[in-house]
Amino acid sequence: MLLDIVIDGLIKGSVYALLAIGFSLVLGVARIINIAHTALYMTAAYLIYIGAKPLGLSPLVAMLAAVGLTVLLGLVVYRLFIQPIQEHEAAVLIATIAVAMMLQEVFLMAFGGHYLGVPPLVDGFAVIFGVKVTFQHLLALGLALLMLLAVRVFLMKTRLGLAIRATAQDREVANLMGMNVTRVAMTTVAISVGLAAVTGAIVVPLVTVEPTMWMHPLIMMLAIVVLGGLGSIEGSFVGAFLLGFAESLVVFLVPMGAFLKDSVALSIMILVLLIRPEGLFGVSFEEER
Amino acid sequence: MGMLDAYIRRFLAVLRTEILVLPSRMAVVVFVLLLLALPLVTQDGYVLRVMILTAIFAILAASWDLLSGFTGQMNFGHALFFGVAAYVTALLNLELKFPPYLSIPLGAVGGVLTGLVVGIPCLRLKGSYLALTTLAFPIILLGLVFAFPGVTGGELGLSGLSRLTGSRTGDYYLITGLMLALGGVMWKITDSNTGIILHAIREDELAARAAGINTTRYKLLAFCLSGFFAGIAGGLYAHFLRLAGPSTLEVSLSFQVIIWAVFGGMVSIYGPIAGVFILNPLMEALRVVLERFPGLPEMRMFIFAGLVLVTLLFMPEGLVPWVRDKIETECPRCKIRNAFTRRRCRVCDAALD
Amino acid sequence: MKRHGWIWRVWLGLLLGLALAGTALAAEPIKIGVLGPMAFTQGEGHWNGASMAAEEINAAGGVKVGGVNRPIELVKVDTNEFLSIPDATNAAEMAISRHKVDFLVGGFRTEAVLVMQDIAMDAKKVFIGCGAAHPELCTRVTKDYDRYKYWFRLTPINSTYLGKVDFILLGTVAAIMKQTLGLEKLKVAIIAEKASWADPIVKAAETMLPEKMGMEVVGTWRPSPVAKDCTAELSAIQRAGAHIVFTTFSSSVGLTFAKQWGELKVPAAAVGINVESQKSGFWEATSGKGEYTLTVNTYARVKITDKTIPFYDKYLKLYKEAPNYTSGTYDALYILKEAVEKAGTTDSDKVVAQIEKHDGIGTAGREVFDKSHDITWAPGYVTSIGSQWQDGQMVCVWPINWEGVTYEGAVPYKLPPWVVEHWKK
Repeated sequence: MLLDIVIDGLIKGSVYALLAIGFSLVLGVARIINIAHTALYMTAAYLIYIGAKPLGLSPLVAMLAAVGLTVLLGLVVYRLFIQPIQEHEAAVLIATIAVAMMLQEVFLMAFGGHYLGVPPLVDGFAVIFGVKVTFQHLLALGLALLMLLAVRVFLMKTRLGLAIRATAQDREVANLMGMNVTRVAMTTVAISVGLAAVTGAIVVPLVTVEPTMWMHPLIMMLAIVVLGGLGSIEGSFVGAFLLGFAESLVVFLVPMGAFLKDSVALSIMILVLLIRPEGLFGVSFEEER
Repeated sequence: MGMLDAYIRRFLAVLRTEILVLPSRMAVVVFVLLLLALPLVTQDGYVLRVMILTAIFAILAASWDLLSGFTGQMNFGHALFFGVAAYVTALLNLELKFPPYLSIPLGAVGGVLTGLVVGIPCLRLKGSYLALTTLAFPIILLGLVFAFPGVTGGELGLSGLSRLTGSRTGDYYLITGLMLALGGVMWKITDSNTGIILHAIREDELAARAAGINTTRYKLLAFCLSGFFAGIAGGLYAHFLRLAGPSTLEVSLSFQVIIWAVFGGMVSIYGPIAGVFILNPLMEALRVVLERFPGLPEMRMFIFAGLVLVTLLFMPEGLVPWVRDKIETECPRCKIRNAFTRRRCRVCDAALD
Repeated sequence: MKRHGWIWRVWLGLLLGLALAGTALAAEPIKIGVLGPMAFTQGEGHWNGASMAAEEINAAGGVKVGGVNRPIELVKVDTNEFLSIPDATNAAEMAISRHKVDFLVGGFRTEAVLVMQDIAMDAKKVFIGCGAAHPELCTRVTKDYDRYKYWFRLTPINSTYLGKVDFILLGTVAAIMKQTLGLEKLKVAIIAEKASWADPIVKAAETMLPEKMGMEVVGTWRPSPVAKDCTAELSAIQRAGAHIVFTTFSSSVGLTFAKQWGELKVPAAAVGINVESQKSGFWEATSGKGEYTLTVNTYARVKITDKTIPFYDKYLKLYKEAPNYTSGTYDALYILKEAVEKAGTTDSDKVVAQIEKHDGIGTAGREVFDKSHDITWAPGYVTSIGSQWQDGQMVCVWPINWEGVTYEGAVPYKLPPWVVEHWKK
């Protein structure tokens, strides 16, 4: 039973972590609360479906193409609709909501409310300490951990990563230091959307593809980012696993209340914030003016 | 006779000096008159229903502005106040048989208490933390709604509330009248001393505190006030549809409120109201138009979102402030607003532009 | 083009009427509003079923009212009820006050249907529900007959009857398991989405199974109707050692569950209600992993009545999809036609009196409404069926010899091979 919880929580947590890190990068660097983040994740899922089912591409090709197209879409949207109004915080916020709604409606128009599915890359399941886990889940876990590692190395060891971190800390000073903040922001958006798309690619065989599939991960992702501390990669990581485990715990310990798993996860977030208003790993910054 | 005569003269004077001088004030008067005259033109149940719902949502959007616009406490979960009040109103009406004129205000009190409960923990949070935390509350409550179907009716909600007035036209006048009155009250609040303090908190909380203002108390007050007005909207909604259901707490409603308010123009009260009165009937107009093209898929929401997106590109501050800046200019010397047609300020006679 | 076809037909009918009878009465169409979430499968079902019936009726001359043949005109009303309740009410109001429809059919999400029902009753319009299963809708008729008498429910059977069929299916599978695997006492895991229509079924299962059916309940899980992941529930069910998992799903969680159940080869036969597995897209959406899922259903390609197979085939041919229970609007239109013809008017009160007396063979069985204006469920009436996915096909596996009812074309139930493997001694 404990093992079931650990394994289930690990898988959920790793997917949430990927989403949360992408989201918090853009929030940190470009100061955008991107509500459309998970809608882009959904876009990747739909594109993979289109590639794999109606077009009959090999799943791997479909996934690569989908990730590329989604990143492109993300950049176009950013350039056309977000960048011009960047100074207006509230406007940016509803612009991202509007983008998310449009994506939802596009897929609703194209495919209706039908629940679609993509076959797994690898069939079958493994038995780990008596717990059945599908190979696809294991693959997802492995890929997610790999991606997390890659992001970490990128941010810590490369010049671009340094620039992103610097911009996140203080936009103006970074600009003064001669960094092209706009370009850094563009790059960050591309990376963030890319992470969302990769997450979509990883989970698409595990979930049902439908036009409102972005809502639930959005809420969990926001909760994780706040729980972990805004802009903190470690925080998102720990927060994701915390909430992932919380969800599994509820299902195993209170089966009659399985539907409450979101509520419980969100309550945990609020409790943590009551004790640490800046989240687990957030910097308790002096009052910004 | 002399009395009446004096009143009329006074009225005309006010009309000439206070209203006709500014296009925006004329617009407000015309808007109010049109609203009140609508049932004289049409008794169509559909049109009146759309306008009633629009008025209810206008109260909701304005109440969001009171909290998030003026005080800067970004609320992503405004549906919470609306939903709690709808449920409280429904329970009072169904279980204790309270008539609407009691159940709706008491439902709004529920909204105030919710404001307190949510406001206190949220006081410690700032900016994005606050925004994202408030999003969580209605979702948690939604879980509770499903956990106690005996009280809340689960996904069915509570149905069969008593009617407001019994006639559609009556409902229309009641709700539109309330919307105008409450909109006026909210506008007055923001124009009062309290409103200025709230505004100061938004601009610079530290400075406000340094000026000796208990910002905590004022922020809490904003939560409660906003909860109250949103609560009235929730109660009216429950009685009008005769249903309080989980849809009143959904995330999509919270998002919708933000869209209405920001689209119309934040920090103005009338902006969000205008936003609702433009966007909501527009959605219904689209329904009527698109019906002529049965071959097209359902695209109302798509057009809606696209329109919002494109509008923002040109008017990132919202529609109403943009229009206001086009039709009025601010006097550079005394900061009094003037109609765009004037060359000189109407008060201090300074040259405009 | 379609519209023009319409106009031609109306004109032709008019001319013929003029020429033959010499009466100058214009054949004013009878307007029927079809309410449903048109962007979703459920709404498509409503619309397709109704369109098919309307075209057939019009081709055969329309509805004879007082010597005049009146064609049927459908009004497509998108309620968008999954996403917005106010939208649904606006749409219903528009159908009544703008389009001046004579009758309404359809509706799906109970929260929305309750409000739309009130709107229809205010306007005294006959509303035949084809989608919402909650008993409350019909309880209202018994509580306040004069106000709610214009409401009828055609599909699905209400949740009490649904529960009965549910237990019969469970009993059938249990008997097969005991017989083929030589098991003594069966363990059952109950999994039901957290929705109030499922509550009575869960409650009944928790008492019925141990007391009446001699089975042990090893646990009850209530995931959210839109849960995107059931692996936690599934491993818990397997750990509990269940032989059968008793499902009650109407939303997307059913698809998630079935897919992961097949993927993980959980050694418990899935029996119960799973609305997703009633759709033809189910096989594709689960990539075939949902094979062996058994569910209560309304339609399958089986001879429930003489009308079922022709209806099923034509529907499949026209819309590339099998009919689901919201396609019951097809029968609803025929019931309305008959009632209007017998009443000789479209006056709501007179039509209600005729529908109350209705006793006819539809595509889902012999259709008779009871005192609460709910469809009667009984052997020889509407029974509903049990359908299972076998090798890419949705086949009918029940009723076979139940109270003397066997539908021609039904085949025996198959246990999932991995379940047999796991429990074989």
